[in-house]
Amino acid sequence: MSNLTAEQPMNVRTISDGARPLEVVAILVKRSMIRVRRMPSAFIPSLIMPVFQLIAFSGAFGFAVTSLGIKNALDWYVPLNAMQGASFGALGVSFGLINDMQTGFFDRILMAPTQRWVTVISSLVAAVVRCIVPITLVVLIGYLGGMNTPGGPMAIVCVAIASVAIAVVAAGFALGLTFRMRNLGAATLTQFAIFFTIFLSTSQVPLSAMSGWLRGVARINPMTNILRFARQGFLGDVTWEQSWGGIIAMAALLILTFIYAMTGIKKFDQ
Amino acid sequence: MSIAIADPKMMTSSSSGRSLFRHTFALTRRSVVGRLRQPAVLAPAFIFPLFFAALGSASFNKLASDPYFTDNIATSFMNYAVAGAILQGVLFGSTSAAGDLATDIEQGFFERLLASPISRTAIVLGRLVGSMVIAVVQVVVFLSIFLVAGARVESGPIGYLGLIGGSALLALAMSGLMAGLAIKSGSPEVVQGAFPLVFVLMFLSSAFFPRHYMKGWYRTVADWNPLSHIVEGMQGFMNHDLSASQFAKSWLLPLVIAIISIAFALRALSNRLAAS
Amino acid sequence: MTQAPIIATGLSRYFGSGENAIKAVDGVDLEVHQGEIFGFLGPNGAGKSTTVRMLTTLLKPTAGTAFVAGYDVVKDADKVRRSIGVALQDAAIDPLMTGRELLTLQAVLYGLSKVAGKNRGEELLERVGLTAAADRRVGTYSGGMRRRLDLALSLVHEPTVLFLDEPTTGLDPMSRLTLWEEVKRLNAGGTTVLLTTQYLEEADQLADRIAIIDHGHIVRQGAPRELKAMVGSPTLSISVASNETDEARAILARFGDLRPTSEGTLGVGLAQGAEDVASVIRALDEAGLKVRHLELNEPSLDDVFAEATGYRLEGADAANKPVETEAEPETKKSRRGRK
Repeated sequence: MSNLTAEQPMNVRTISDGARPLEVVAILVKRSMIRVRRMPSAFIPSLIMPVFQLIAFSGAFGFAVTSLGIKNALDWYVPLNAMQGASFGALGVSFGLINDMQTGFFDRILMAPTQRWVTVISSLVAAVVRCIVPITLVVLIGYLGGMNTPGGPMAIVCVAIASVAIAVVAAGFALGLTFRMRNLGAATLTQFAIFFTIFLSTSQVPLSAMSGWLRGVARINPMTNILRFARQGFLGDVTWEQSWGGIIAMAALLILTFIYAMTGIKKFDQ
Repeated sequence: MSIAIADPKMMTSSSSGRSLFRHTFALTRRSVVGRLRQPAVLAPAFIFPLFFAALGSASFNKLASDPYFTDNIATSFMNYAVAGAILQGVLFGSTSAAGDLATDIEQGFFERLLASPISRTAIVLGRLVGSMVIAVVQVVVFLSIFLVAGARVESGPIGYLGLIGGSALLALAMSGLMAGLAIKSGSPEVVQGAFPLVFVLMFLSSAFFPRHYMKGWYRTVADWNPLSHIVEGMQGFMNHDLSASQFAKSWLLPLVIAIISIAFALRALSNRLAAS
Repeated sequence: MTQAPIIATGLSRYFGSGENAIKAVDGVDLEVHQGEIFGFLGPNGAGKSTTVRMLTTLLKPTAGTAFVAGYDVVKDADKVRRSIGVALQDAAIDPLMTGRELLTLQAVLYGLSKVAGKNRGEELLERVGLTAAADRRVGTYSGGMRRRLDLALSLVHEPTVLFLDEPTTGLDPMSRLTLWEEVKRLNAGGTTVLLTTQYLEEADQLADRIAIIDHGHIVRQGAPRELKAMVGSPTLSISVASNETDEARAILARFGDLRPTSEGTLGVGLAQGAEDVASVIRALDEAGLKVRHLELNEPSLDDVFAEATGYRLEGADAANKPVETEAEPETKKSRRGRK
């Protein structure tokens, strides 16, 4: 150590002015990519699961959907499974965070002069980057399977927006829960929460075909609105009428889960 | 966990048929108690099948307006979904029980059992019978819930017993297969890894949706999938008059698979013993 | 220098609340002087790590205040973070990343520019002898390499105050020596170091001053030399046949107060110093007791610890290991460690 500067009253070598948020986000996202690349076994299920479900749903339930007037079962399931694939990134976020807590690496991040929101945003951006491949894969398989996109390119844009939003919402929820529970139970609970939120919506059939309790639950489930937004270009034109509900639902969930994650990380400062 | 091993009765060195029975019984009890003590692990095998059945009934009930469905398959989608739920519950339960066995192996409890005078057959049988017991409990619970919800066993009381017996045999077949996998690999992760595979097999069968409505290669796979026929046998009990084909599908088929899978498990065990 | 780099007053941390609260740290007062190595000594669970976590802003104190590098650890946490370097217990590093990647990450976290971060990283790799291993995944590193990397990481932003939480726990003797050398070198460059340890030898070797913490309280604080002098008299430990223990104990008590020593031996602090040894032996001999083993120890930190807490740190020093045949080499080893 070279220069001890005694002239400063507090004797702090001020080479650190605190971190620059953008650079921190970039390097933490890069780290998450490095981890994915070096431990693909944790990432591959998030590729296989949505693809398998796309094939299984459209293969098994195809009749139920097409008998309701949908041309190709893929038109119905591609948006669903793209979103589902995107949501799996949240599990990666939760597992990664728990791993960091166990190794103590998370302490290193907490001790660094970076703001808490930067840490949270980094995880959310990482989740977005992670979800690109599964979304693309699902859409590609849909394309090969002859899905229809009467809404034109906007169909794909809507699916992409909805999937990325779900990736962020799920990751935010996972962060908030993991910051609070600080054990692997958080990942399991996240998985359940995503599972039930998705299945208790119009995931399998439209509201009109549902009966009883499911219809009541699906009607108030924000996921139903988001699915309508994501599917519209596959079933017809993209219109404002079918969009606004989904946009509001996405915005509300994004805000709520971000707050949940932020209040979660703040618990480390208490 | 070491519940049964502390039982001095088990430590007798006789290898008569009676002690085989006693050991199997003690190990069965250990296996069942072990399962019941992990409600968090057991719960999904109860919750998810019921959830999927409820979801299917609420989503696909319109199918009941298709004449082919009502004439040949079931009176309502819920009545159809009962067998699928039973199948799913039994398969998941058996797979996660095999996870316990793999954990035993990994933690060395299995070695201690092998070093004790307990017969090797009893060690494997204890696990399998344990799975059968859990499966029977599961089916009774499921059927009670479904009956309350309005389902009917159209084939009557014998059909009811037919469902229970079929499930027990299916549990035997599945846990034999998974126990073989557990003994062969000795790793809970490998057994856990079989979960998605079981799920795939179920989707590619009549468990969640009738195979009649599937198309193309998907249909071909479902036609050849033994699970399709087992579950259709059970669906027969639920939706039609009693017939021999229901027993052939849901009893005989699992029994054949059970014989093969137990042979596989015992072979895996003797290979493990030879290697150690 | 207007203010000491670390000042804690009445620092406390309770876990849980009400009557069942566990007082992990209970009213700790500390003052670490500029440029010194301060050893924080105590057994597992004494409150060392909890204190360090409070001083490094990872844990909020339940009561009391602490200033590090002149800043309040609660109100000015961010400024404290910029001024300190921390190597936590068990080297908190991601095994999937390489040493160089971790250094780059750390540099960004502390706001170094790209060029500055790169240069600093290379310099530190060289300094801790990890240049050759820099592009290997940390998972392949040995324990010593991990600790050295951890140390390098904590130095990226040239902190003025360095916290090392049990930096050598679990390391082999060679790696431990290497790390000690590095800490001394850093300190010579002007960095104030607070290090926690459960090894008496480590505290004795490295620390200018130490504090002994036990059950969340600081029970002794000062320079090792002063603390030893306070314990005063040398300790004579003897072993006799087990049926003669009580008799021997009574005789020893005449020469000073009895002290806890290892199992199977009796210890006494000789009030008159080493010259009493002959008298003790004579008295035992006159009583017809056969001395099987005898050892005279000048006061050590071990004795300071025993005197302060009423027990000895397990495995902390050779002096409290079973003696018998191995006594000679063990004693030598422990002596070498002392100043």
